[in-house]
Parts: sequence; structure tokens; C-alpha cells
Amino acid sequence: MEAVVVDYGSKLLKAGIASPDQDPPYIIPTKMKRVLEEGEEAGGDGTGNDEEVMVDTVVRGFVSDWDAMEDLLHHVLYTNIGWEIGDEGQILFTEPLFTPKYLREQLVQLMFETFNVSGFYASEQAVLSLYAVGRISGCTIDIGHGKIDVAPVCEGAVHHIASKRFETGGVDLTNLLAQELQKSNPSVNIDISDVEKIKELYAKCASDQIEFEKMQNSYLPEQHTLPDGQVITIGKERYIVGEALFQPQILGLEEYGIVEQLVSSVSNVASEYHRQLLENTMLCGGTAAMTGFEKRFQSEANVSASAIRPALVKPPEYMPENLARNSAWMGGAILAKVVFPQNQHVTKGEYDETGPSIVHKKCF
Amino acid sequence: MYGGDEVSAIVVDLGSYSCKAGYAGEDAPKAVFPSAVGSIDQMEVDTEANPEKEADTQDPKNNAKPSDADKSKANRKLYVGTQALDYRRDHMEVISPFKDGVVVDWDMVDNIWNHAFRQRLLIDPKEHPMLLAEPSINTAQQREKAAEVMFENYKVPALFLAKNAVLTSFASGRSTSLVVDSGGGSTVVAAVHDGYVLQKAVATSPIGGEFLTDCMMKSLESKGIVIKPRYSFKKKEISPGEYKIVDLDFPNTTESYRLFCTRAIAGDIKESVSRVPDSSYDEASYANVPMTSYELPDGQTIEIGADRFKVPDILFNPSLALTIPGIEGFSDPASVKGLPQMVLESINKCDVDIRRELFSSILLAGGTSSMQQLKERLEKELMEDAPQAARVKVLASGNAIERRFSVWIGGSILASLGSFQQMWFSKAEYEEHGVSYIHRKCP
Repeated sequence: MEAVVVDYGSKLLKAGIASPDQDPPYIIPTKMKRVLEEGEEAGGDGTGNDEEVMVDTVVRGFVSDWDAMEDLLHHVLYTNIGWEIGDEGQILFTEPLFTPKYLREQLVQLMFETFNVSGFYASEQAVLSLYAVGRISGCTIDIGHGKIDVAPVCEGAVHHIASKRFETGGVDLTNLLAQELQKSNPSVNIDISDVEKIKELYAKCASDQIEFEKMQNSYLPEQHTLPDGQVITIGKERYIVGEALFQPQILGLEEYGIVEQLVSSVSNVASEYHRQLLENTMLCGGTAAMTGFEKRFQSEANVSASAIRPALVKPPEYMPENLARNSAWMGGAILAKVVFPQNQHVTKGEYDETGPSIVHKKCF
Repeated sequence: MYGGDEVSAIVVDLGSYSCKAGYAGEDAPKAVFPSAVGSIDQMEVDTEANPEKEADTQDPKNNAKPSDADKSKANRKLYVGTQALDYRRDHMEVISPFKDGVVVDWDMVDNIWNHAFRQRLLIDPKEHPMLLAEPSINTAQQREKAAEVMFENYKVPALFLAKNAVLTSFASGRSTSLVVDSGGGSTVVAAVHDGYVLQKAVATSPIGGEFLTDCMMKSLESKGIVIKPRYSFKKKEISPGEYKIVDLDFPNTTESYRLFCTRAIAGDIKESVSRVPDSSYDEASYANVPMTSYELPDGQTIEIGADRFKVPDILFNPSLALTIPGIEGFSDPASVKGLPQMVLESINKCDVDIRRELFSSILLAGGTSSMQQLKERLEKELMEDAPQAARVKVLASGNAIERRFSVWIGGSILASLGSFQQMWFSKAEYEEHGVSYIHRKCP
């Protein structure tokens, strides 16, 4: 049986049978509604109910609600992918940088004891994203919904000392956009989930700082109709979302923009690797798929305080179009084809013998 | 007690230059960041402005009113870690909790540990036994203070203090050796016998990686090369493909921050071009040595010639440093000796019986010891000066990462041994016997 690859993020869970050059078959939101009557939860689109509570299964990249995660995985594995109870296969998980040891142990425990999988493997998203573009060394900038990871990878091993993690992501950009829209449309009451959709439709990156400043004063306002019928105008707000990544002061953070973070991260690695790392930079994650982001990134990289100019990696032609969004899952699919046949994964027997800590010895 | 596998111990090595922290059992620390912290004075008379910080650092057992010194400390905001230090802030000074290798500011150390646990490792210190690495010569007062902070502020379940030299020795699988630890802040030569440091045979020198970086920096400046810190310039595109450097002016940047950033670049230069010369350095023979080029962050390419060999030779010949313009002399020039003399002095202070063993297992540790050709030169110098019968062998791990983190790695090995688990100084023992019990449990 083919292995299953699961990439859980703060917004979406990507899952499916490992097929390296295709998009993940199942992309499901990880935000779930809990129906309080009998304590049951519905995955994805639940039915509306007065007593519902929104549950964030994954917060800032890490699993925060294990019961919700269990239900979500149950739905994905048995209903969507079609596993049968008693005949579970092998599973590969992706995980963000700096995952604490106890979280990994909890996940492997959940998989072996509750789901009874036959094999398990976990790998870091940064490395997998590079595999998806056919590299084993380079820098990954993963701009997700809940977190941003900047990771230099050398020969398949993440350089933990030089890596950075930011607790900022798409969710903070959505909040910023909501604030700005509220300022320019004071009479309209906008729901946060609608702002999320507006962000995905309209957000753009100005081609450089000067253009951004110009846009603040003269812009073409557009009208957008919300699902409940209200109409709002969107103008300069669309640019602020992208700009916040290059000027975090907009979000109120005391940090440099994303390009400077990349340069300072690489400067903490031995100088002989600098060229290889900077010239193989990969942008991935949902937020990185914003219109104009790549172009802006490249132009900011050209004027960055570094002798070697960072250059973005070109994805291979046989990979699907929106590689950036799902690169971690695709890399996982590639890795699954290597790890499981060669028996480098954690088997049920090994788990029974050693316990959850086996994951630290076998998966790195 | 504590099982090796189930509850993972944390190993913390706070050096005068960098702090290394990570889980025991791993082969490298996950969190490595500078020990220097950024600090901005709030300049507010009202200490109520920072109630959170005060609550964290105030010792609950001591309810005395905070003295003036404490008050001024509570009025500053600290920025710990590479990410926080990278960002240039107005009026931010870069300060270190160490003075001459000894901790003087425990509030800063508390912040550094907090950053390591909660922001880098993402763990709760209450659930992990802690192994702290301490200097080979450490006063009773310092040890007790460290134990106090750990048990009171972090509520760790168990603690152990191990000496740096002992941990390096364990990392190489030996219980008797002479450890030459050349780190960022200083160089320490210590003899370890059967797992214990021989206190009378420890020699220290203020020459460490940071001092050598300063020498490199001053030497380059005297030749007219200006190293621009990364925050002080920006590239501007004047025509497609062509860029010009534009200087940015930040008048409120402190001198200490500018130095900190410049040192980071000078340190990288030092690490990439330095080579220890095969014999003593002298100006005449190295005047025409071929130059190596290095590209600075602003695109400027510089040529480095004799400095490549002069700066590392300072380890062997400290008086060389005084020939570099801008370097102040040492406070006690007679006591600062070169590496070979320190090694010989240290061995001669030990019992005659173990000297042979010490000579044949000299371990190199610390970041500065990964300089090219250091091992060969040290061996050569020692063989000339050592007694005829002694067999001199200098051992160093080939891997630069292992040399830099050998103290931490030794701690990682020690804390994951099954036979070590009974040696922890537990919270219960602390509460029963008090903090001075630590000298019995961690000799």
C-alpha cells in the first residue's frame, strides 16, 4: 500500500497518498466547529449551530487541541483516503522548525496507539520544500498562516542554530487588513472569515517601497460585495498586506523585513556555504503566493546588505503550477517514496519496544 | 530518580561569548546565541513601569527593599538573542553579564536562560532536570547563586553543576587529560584527573576569540580599511544591474552597538582567513606573503596579507598584540603567557606521576581552537620544551562544530548516562538541606 503524507498547517491540512508530482488530493481547513451537545465535532464544513465553538486545531504551526486533531485525522484517513480499520498503512508527517520534543512524542503516540499505523516518519517542512524543487541545499522561507520559518538547509540537514522562527503569519496580516478596512469603511461590519477571503482575492505587493508610498495617496478603489450583501471599497489597503512582510513596523514589530532576516540568518552559517544557500532560496507557504510577492522579494534582495545576491530557485517544469503553496506536502511525497521502502521509518514493533522517544532517534 | 529516556535533561553552557543550550542526548545544541544582551535604559523613576520584570527577578525569599542598584536594573529593557540583537534600536547598549570571566549581573543571566528555555527550546523548565556547565575555577558564592536562581525562579526538578574541563574530557572519552579551552572570552588550561579538575593546576589568560577579533579589526583599520556594519548602508540601483552603496545615518546608535556589529563581520574575516604560522611570527619574513581576498557585505573586496598569520600568533606570543595600533596593553602584562607556556606551567603544578599521562592527552576545545594549523604548531612548540622522555600528543576533533561545542557535548553525554541519574541535586534535597548542599553533591 502506498504511504500517506500529511502536512498540517495553522489554516489548512494537506493530505493524500504520496504522489510526488501532483497536488495534494485533500486540502481541508483545520479550523473546526465543535457541536457542544454530544461533544462530537464535524471536520471542515460543519452544520451551523447556535452552540458551536470554533476550535483552532493547529496554532502557530503546532498542534494545540489533540482531540480535534484526532477527529480531523480520523475523518481524513478513513473517510477521504479510504483506509480501513485494521489495515492501516504507513504515514509521513511534516513538522515546523523548533518543534518541541514532547509534541513529536505525542504525535507518534497518537498514530501508533489510536490509529494503529504500521509505519511512521516525520520530517521538517524546510527540508521537504527543497526536495520538491529538486535540491538538498538551500534556504527555505516558509510564510504560513501562523508562522514564518527561515531555515538554511545544508545537504538535507537544517542548520538549527542559524534558523529563525517568527510568530507572525497570514493570520496577523488578515487582522491588519480587517483593521484597515474597518477604518475606511466604518459603517460596515466585516466578519473575519470574509476578510480572509478578501485578502486572498485582492492582496498585492507593491513593486517597491516608493511605489507603496505613492499608492497610499492615489489608488483605484474597487467595490466588493460581501456575502451578506454589504458593499465595501478596497483601495490602498490591498498593498499594506504585502508591505507588512517587508516593513514589519506596520504590524508593530521591532524586526527587519523578510529579506534582511534571510541575510542575517545565512550570515550565521560558515562562509563557505553562503553562496550555495543564498543562490538557492525557496519561497513557500500560502502567503508567499501573493501577487507580486516574488518580484518584490527579488528586487529587495538585489539591494540587500549582502555581497552575494539572494536568488530564487526555479521550480522544475514537471511540477504543478502553485508549487509554493503545497511544496512541503510534495516534498513529503518524494521522501515517502525513499524512506518507507528502505525501512528507515519507525515500525510498530520498534514503537512497542522503545516507546514514543524512538521518534527522536529515527526521524531527523 | 529520573529515567534517561522519558524525561530529557537540558544542558546549558553559558560562556562569556555565547550561550549554548539543548536537549541531552543530542549531538549539538539547538540554541546558540550571544551572551551579550541589548539594553535600553527606560529612564523612568517609577519602578511600577516594569512590574513583570521585577516579579520575575526578585528573589521571593528575600523581601528586603530593592537597593538603588536593583532599581536602576529594573528600569532597563533587555533584548536577548540573535533576532533581538540584530535589530538596530536607538540608544540600545550592548552589555555582557560577565566581567573577567565571572558573572556580575545575575538579572541578565536570568533573562538569557529564560530566552533559551522559552523562546528557543520552547520548553517548560519545571519539567526538565538541568545540567549547567560552570568555569573550571568557580567560587562557592557563584555556584550557590546559580543554584538559587535555577530552583527559585525556574523551579527545576533537579540540577547539576559540572566543570567545563571535565565535560570536555568526557566528550573525548577520557577521564584524565589536560584541557586547553580557547573560547570567546578567555583561554583556560586545566588538568583533569579521574574526572576532577586539579584546582591548583588551572591557568587562565584573557586572550580569547574576542580579543583576536579586536586585533584583526584594529589592524585592518590601521591599514585604512573601513568595515561598515550591515545596518549602516543600503544599496541603490542606479541603472539596471548596477548598484551604488548609500550610507544611512542613525545618530542615536550607541558606540557599543556599532562595535558589536563591526566585530561580527571582523570575526567572520578572522575565521575565514586566519592560519597559525608554522613558527614564530616576525614582520620581516611575512612582509611579502601573498594576499587573500575577502568580500565585505557592502561589496568591497579587501586584501589581507600578513595579518592572517599575525593575529593567530598572538595566542603563542601575546606581546605581538601590543604592536597593533589601538590595542591597549593588558592590566598585568607579566601574567599573560602564550599557550605553550600555560600548558607547561599547568602540567608542572601537577603530581609527577600523572604528568606523562597529561602530556599524551592534551585536548583542544573552544571556537578559537579550530584555527587552522593550531594543533600542529602547539604540538611542535610543546615537543621542544617538554622533558625528553615525555610523549606529547595534542588531540582535537576534526570537526569544527565538535570543537566549538565540546563542553556542551560532554554535558549531553553525561546527562544521558544511566549511571548519572542518581547524582542529580534534586529539588527535595535543596529544600531540605539548603543551597550550600550543592558543594557536596557537585564536587
